[in-house]
Amino acid sequence: MTLLAFLLLLALVPAESARGRHLPAAAISSPVFGPRQVYGVLGGSVTVRCFYPPTPVNRHDRKYWCRQAGSGCPTVVSTQYVAPAYQGRVALTDHPQAEHFQINISALELGDAGTYQCGVGVNGRGLSYRVTLSVVEAPPVPETPELFYVKLRSTWTVTCSFGEDTVEMKKYLCKKEKEGCRNIINSYQELGSIQLTFEEPPGSFRVTMTQMDWEDAGVYYCGAGEYGKDKTSKELEVFIYEDKTFPHLKTDITAKNGSSATFECPYEPLIDSATRFWCKRDGRICNRIIDNSGFVAKKYKGRVAAFENPENKTVAIILNQLQYEDEGFYWCMSNELREQQSSAELRVVAGQPALTGKKEVEARVGSWVNLTCCYPCTYSSYEKFWCRWNGTGCAMLPAQPGLPQPGDTCGPSSRTLVLSLGPLAEEDEGWYWCGLKRNGLFGETMAVQLRLSAGSDAKLSPEFLDVDSSRDPGAAPPGGAHSDAEVRKGAAPESSDESHGSNTLGLVLGPLAGLILLVVTAFAIVKYRQMKRSDLVSVGSYRTNISMSDFESVRDFSASNCVKESQETPMGGDEFITTTDTPESAADTTKAKRSSKEDADLAYSSFLVTSSSIAQGSSGGDSAVLDPSPPQHRD
Amino acid sequence: MKSTWSLCVALAVSLGIILVAGYPVSPQDEEYVLVNNKCQCVTVTSKFVPSKEDPEEEVLERNIRIIVPLKARENISDPLSPPRTTFVYRLSELCRNCEPVEIDLGGVIYQAQQGNSCEEPQTCYTYDRNECYSSPVPLLYHGEVRQVPAALTPASCFTE
Repeated sequence: MTLLAFLLLLALVPAESARGRHLPAAAISSPVFGPRQVYGVLGGSVTVRCFYPPTPVNRHDRKYWCRQAGSGCPTVVSTQYVAPAYQGRVALTDHPQAEHFQINISALELGDAGTYQCGVGVNGRGLSYRVTLSVVEAPPVPETPELFYVKLRSTWTVTCSFGEDTVEMKKYLCKKEKEGCRNIINSYQELGSIQLTFEEPPGSFRVTMTQMDWEDAGVYYCGAGEYGKDKTSKELEVFIYEDKTFPHLKTDITAKNGSSATFECPYEPLIDSATRFWCKRDGRICNRIIDNSGFVAKKYKGRVAAFENPENKTVAIILNQLQYEDEGFYWCMSNELREQQSSAELRVVAGQPALTGKKEVEARVGSWVNLTCCYPCTYSSYEKFWCRWNGTGCAMLPAQPGLPQPGDTCGPSSRTLVLSLGPLAEEDEGWYWCGLKRNGLFGETMAVQLRLSAGSDAKLSPEFLDVDSSRDPGAAPPGGAHSDAEVRKGAAPESSDESHGSNTLGLVLGPLAGLILLVVTAFAIVKYRQMKRSDLVSVGSYRTNISMSDFESVRDFSASNCVKESQETPMGGDEFITTTDTPESAADTTKAKRSSKEDADLAYSSFLVTSSSIAQGSSGGDSAVLDPSPPQHRD
Repeated sequence: MKSTWSLCVALAVSLGIILVAGYPVSPQDEEYVLVNNKCQCVTVTSKFVPSKEDPEEEVLERNIRIIVPLKARENISDPLSPPRTTFVYRLSELCRNCEPVEIDLGGVIYQAQQGNSCEEPQTCYTYDRNECYSSPVPLLYHGEVRQVPAALTPASCFTE
């Protein structure tokens, strides 16, 4: 084999501050995973399970189990073939939906021990995992680690049980490193994105680790007591693989105080019967906020709603009216579907929310009320909506145009979204949300609480005194917010704004058009006159009264009149270009390098005199016609 | 010795040693991926290793792995094109990152492209395993010749 050596061109690489953005090498190595070491008893049987990413290619491709021999790997068994020497002893079964395939070897012989590869595709191409098979004479068989094939960014759950006598001992999960075992979580700790819960029967516990990343792959130990000292521990091996169809959920959410935050939970629409709930971690306990059975915690009434999106396989949970106490870890949990759990951290920072407006509104039963919501102009391209909070969700309300209440108008740099309600009944009391949405993703929301009071007491705030009059179309709305009043999902307000804009446009275009017209007319007139003049001049030039001697006496002349190309006489070192155009343009296009300016002037004026006399003789036009604009001296 | 049809030559590791004096030792000696180009079958990874001259210092080492498909065609989508004899690998082209990234500007999320000249597609020397390649094949059917797309990589052409 010829080995080609390429010379590397090197550039000085700055300190890799952008290292965080690069994937680790594990991301591009083989995604096939299996046991590193397998033990079998002589004469017995052994099962090897190899995992692979469940892409369509992999599911349909060939699976193989080959024995390494030198640089090659002859196949022992594959999905299409069994080696003659192993007939009847080995079997390979593929389980594409379970992301693995299984190799069964029975009637083990001592010669079976060695290095094998389990893989997908063609032997030796690298999409494989190396397995070492050892045959022991008699049981017991050494313990091998439990394997976990975990999707990137998903959740890993492991249950360890050690018997009743370990109930009092500390439970831990640690990751094996070069020196020792680094503690991940133990029963005395409380972490945000990792959960340790005790299970039945006593002595067993479960660890749930969310947001699994590439660095989380490796060997772990779960146990009771202390690692290394007590014998009660179990070895686990975790492998991370990337599934491009897995939704990329945000795990760090930052929101402003008073605004809202959107959390995303993965869910499987087909397994809808499972209980799913969303809770906030508080130490070991997770306080349930909302679940899919219609329950909402009292403290969160009107603040939280869930929106299912079966297409993206996610549930969007919106929490608004945020305060600093809302900071923390929020978990999407499911009792039956452990893999569907996820967590996200919420941070609340100081700042102004994008949506502003009156948060609490009081009105009389039977009256009409307008709820206003102000949003900045940067969000004008977003979809805007009003919805009514109804327990677990928020029901969208159809567009109802209205004008903002007096005193409710938004600032100059924001637009208004108005919801008009009425006549109000008892059931209309509750929370109404105004929100933004783009590309199917929810943006910020704001909640307005509507409280009703019966009767016509003077409990009303003064702003509502002309609630009825605002409905009168003839009444001029105070505040002058008319120009930017808007409807949800409205094309109408956009056009009103546009018409407003088009008025100014018209105002500008009008005078501009007039000006252009003037210029064009003036130009036309001048051109016409030139043309007339040119006619005169061209008639004049055809006359043979002009004697060449006149021209020769003139040193050089600015070709103010139309001198035909045939008459072009370059003199001395001077160079000039003449055209048969009108005198005006002819003067413009002439370029003459003059030896002396006075000479030129003299020549020009003398020529003019000559030609003007000719013109006068022909048509009686005045000499002024021939006189073009003052000869431009280009020097 | 001649090997089977697709891969013949694997390029060995090329070492690039750059002296980076005084760079703080990173706690993780991890190898990071810089290039993973399925089209031309090139991967470039980098990691910090102790310098040969001075083991106290760390230098950046880049590993470039190129697998040259010697039996490929000039146009991989056309099996009738002549075999390819020239393979050009440009590090600047390979290091180009054309994946759009999301940037948050003032609360609004935009998609930004990270590289220049992303409009010209790269000439591919080999097949990407996750993509389906097909070529039209003339078939005589009921007396007329029809161009039917035939899969060049059957395993990759399953949708589910």
